[in-house]
Amino acid sequence: MYLWLLAAGLTLVFGVLGVLNFAHGSFFMLGAYAAFTFYEKLGINFFLSIFLSLVSVGIIGVIFERFFLRKIYDIDLPYQLILTFGFILIFDDLVKMIWGGVAMIPPMPSFLEGNFSILGRPYPFYNLFIIFAGLAVAIVLWLLLEKTWWGRMIRASASDREMASAIGINIPVLFTTVFIFAAMLAALGGALGTPVRVVAPGIGTAMIIQAFVITVIGGLGNLKGAFVGALIVGILTSYGILLFPIFELFIIFVVMVIVLLVKPEGLFGK
Amino acid sequence: MKLRILFLAALILFLLLLPFFGGKYLLYMAIHICLLSVFALGFNLLLGYTGLLSFGQAGFFAVGAYASAKILLVTPSLLLGTIVGTLAGGIAALILGFLCIRHTRIYFSMLTLSFGMMIYSLAWKWREVTGGDDGLVGIPRAPLQIPGILHLDMSSMGHYYYFVLVISIIAIFVLYRIVHSPLGLTLKGIRDSENRVAFAGISIRNYRLLAFTIAGFYAGLAGSFLPPLENTVTPPIAHWTHSAEPVMVTLLGGIHTFSGPIVGSVLFYLIKDIIVRYTQYWLIWFGSIVVLLVLVFRGGIVIFFTEKIWPWLIRK
Amino acid sequence: MAKNISRRKFLKNAVIGGAAIGSGLGSYRITYGQAKKAAGPIKIGGQGAISGAHADYGWQMTAGSTMAIEEINSKGGVLGRKLEMKFMDEELKPATAVKNARYLVTDWGADVLFGVDSSGSAMALGPVLAELNRVHIFCHAATHRLTEELVAQRRIPQIFRISVPTYQDGILPALIMEDFPEIKRWAGIHEDYEYGYVAWNTFKETMKKVRPDVEFVSIAWAPFWTMDFSSHIAAVMAEKPDAIHTTKWAGEGVMLIRQALTMGVFDNIKAWWQCMGGSVDVLQGIAREVEADKFKGKLWASARYIHNYPVTPENRAFVEKFIKRWGRYPNYSAETSYSSIYVIKAAVEKAKSLETEKLIAAIEGMEIMTPAGKRYFRPEDHQAVYNVPGGRVIKSPDYPLPILGDLRVIPAKDYYRHPPFTPISATK
Repeated sequence: MYLWLLAAGLTLVFGVLGVLNFAHGSFFMLGAYAAFTFYEKLGINFFLSIFLSLVSVGIIGVIFERFFLRKIYDIDLPYQLILTFGFILIFDDLVKMIWGGVAMIPPMPSFLEGNFSILGRPYPFYNLFIIFAGLAVAIVLWLLLEKTWWGRMIRASASDREMASAIGINIPVLFTTVFIFAAMLAALGGALGTPVRVVAPGIGTAMIIQAFVITVIGGLGNLKGAFVGALIVGILTSYGILLFPIFELFIIFVVMVIVLLVKPEGLFGK
Repeated sequence: MKLRILFLAALILFLLLLPFFGGKYLLYMAIHICLLSVFALGFNLLLGYTGLLSFGQAGFFAVGAYASAKILLVTPSLLLGTIVGTLAGGIAALILGFLCIRHTRIYFSMLTLSFGMMIYSLAWKWREVTGGDDGLVGIPRAPLQIPGILHLDMSSMGHYYYFVLVISIIAIFVLYRIVHSPLGLTLKGIRDSENRVAFAGISIRNYRLLAFTIAGFYAGLAGSFLPPLENTVTPPIAHWTHSAEPVMVTLLGGIHTFSGPIVGSVLFYLIKDIIVRYTQYWLIWFGSIVVLLVLVFRGGIVIFFTEKIWPWLIRK
Repeated sequence: MAKNISRRKFLKNAVIGGAAIGSGLGSYRITYGQAKKAAGPIKIGGQGAISGAHADYGWQMTAGSTMAIEEINSKGGVLGRKLEMKFMDEELKPATAVKNARYLVTDWGADVLFGVDSSGSAMALGPVLAELNRVHIFCHAATHRLTEELVAQRRIPQIFRISVPTYQDGILPALIMEDFPEIKRWAGIHEDYEYGYVAWNTFKETMKKVRPDVEFVSIAWAPFWTMDFSSHIAAVMAEKPDAIHTTKWAGEGVMLIRQALTMGVFDNIKAWWQCMGGSVDVLQGIAREVEADKFKGKLWASARYIHNYPVTPENRAFVEKFIKRWGRYPNYSAETSYSSIYVIKAAVEKAKSLETEKLIAAIEGMEIMTPAGKRYFRPEDHQAVYNVPGGRVIKSPDYPLPILGDLRVIPAKDYYRHPPFTPISATK
């Protein structure tokens, strides 16, 4: 589900802005650090901390989009990748300067502790909470895209940017809002993960390639595909380890290659 | 014109004389620069001349490095190791190339990324062959020998430097010929207008595959320089972050010039080595330079120099 | 004509390329002057991971060694010469480690080297040390092969290790847990690389010898940097083990223990052995849970040094000074690097020289008092022998963080492997 939140933003940005953002994983990391700071250091309520973390990362997203990303919309793919790769390095080191290199984990909110049993195996409440959060995001995204004016603008400009511009859609503003939204999705993933995962420099980089795989499997720019892709990769990584312990990383990329060769537009591509 | 040939000769002379006045570490860095130059030049045949961005070159680099390491561990012959490493990189590229060149643009990049990462996970997991996370260790810097003709000891850094330098210069020259042969022109044609070339009755796929294979040979060659130098090969050399290196230096130097990747390699090591000395936060500086580069010097240092600095100097 | 133009273009480019290379190397020439060897400071080159997920381990190394150097310099240095340190980022990449060592020795002019976090880096560095001919004291990299293969068999005498070898995490827990007759079914959740294989294999081997009745019911391998352990935990718990032995360390270790808590593992087992769980970063990560007694006293851990052992004036002084200087507790990397500097000091004073051969002779067989207790450098494989206890993770009123209590000390000299070394099976 963390992967889904990360991949959703990645694919959204690619679909609408046409940029493949390597630094997207950094927003995941920043979200985790921000939530950690509000929750653990400042003692703010868990949900409020998550909300504040989304706001902060959203602000960073605006700055990033306005001052840097905007300049590279029209240039070649290699430059986009390298620019955003440069930002991974910058964000990783910034985080280390501010918070130090120690891996940190804040406590779990007490109402989400504990576990229940499915088929005799214990299952933590928190994982259930994460699944519901992921599903909720999926539903909200679907509603936003299908039922709102903003969603229609996004879909219009994703399919034909010039046409969208011609009918009076303010493309720069739309792009900024989409980018903020995507950054916040990544931050949400990072923030939700803090009580069970670890907050450390480089956690975003570790996940970005998996997110790439997901977006490719699902089809670049395709949200529904990203959701299914996240499920596939999630299941492969957690159960693949037990079934084929030697080649779990290998298997993921095999799946990606097969999809690329057979149906490059992704499982849910048009 | 004469001046330029003279300069080129002077440069080569300078590089040949380097061991006489440079320290050990300088030679070591120079070898790394040669290695990265060869690696990046091959990569640029794909990016700059054919318009394909590969994000999996480290995979072929690793194939070359592991193959040459395996040879050196069995028979200590430097030449054999280098040849086998180069061939292994090229053949791997030829095989995987069949699949990769089916796509262009982002899909091509993603395919190469996944093959590169597959090679990485193989290097990591196939312990019997690759030594797993420990890699292959204790690789000798074997002497350069052709039975009955030649026997050169390589244990000193200076000797090995000459070996790498000479092979690199040959490789660079060969690539220069390739780029300016009809093949190179066809590749550029494909990059600029696929349809026009297709109308001329040329199989685009075969040409792309050829370019991909040549890039694989160069990655394999660069990889085969590594084991004798470091005495060890480990999985991180196949990781995608290592694939980003040729991308970075090529963009740094400029993709549309032949010498771009070489200049980029020199600057890459220079910048990184200098930053690392002064701060433990070297990533942030390096990242900032990369960002600056994309925003300001797009097109690369070489073009920036030829079109901005050089004319300005002449006017002065 | 076309050919001509392109050639001119090439040459033009070549000229520029040449200019760049020329000026680049030229500036190298200036900055890369060979270090002068006079009566200047004694130069100590260090490296460790100071970026990425394990950046704190490298930080602890710089903190420990910096403190030692400040202490020594404030008392006049060694043989009247000050100590100077340069610490570089190993990035956990063997190639970078080799490059750093080459730079430190041949260009910066290091007289002695120390540090290194990753075993892979250490193994890659070993043969290069023979070429560079500098003593290197390894402070963290733990593969037994570093001392057994490279020192004892291949005779690279420049290598010394001040920290413990990997198999301690297998043998020590087995020797301690044999005293719990009610624990009969062991399971493992381990690192999917050499450290995990060696620790689990030596654990099983030792345990079988001392407790033939024990069974090993289940094992799950988790690759480096796993985030979600729920499937590993579920798979292992399905076999209903009495106890779990795990090598997941640092941040991953904290994640694993806490995820195990949320899955109710500690209600169903009798003991959990966390290798290297006595490191302060892990103790800090589970401090709240320990305080609330969520582990019910079932969490055991080992380390490579723990700040509450031994109870000696040396150790107390070290910990107090460290907290005063850095505002944090030292972990084992801080202690091993701090002690490394003192080993270097002792060696230089004994050898009255910086020549590598004399330093090696001085360190071989050296006995030295360090915060972690008395260390003895075995001449046969250059491994430092010192006692590190295992114990139960508990809350103590004397410390803000959890500590290891109920300490069980087993003399290291009794269980460390001796030559001739038989290979440990380093596979699953």
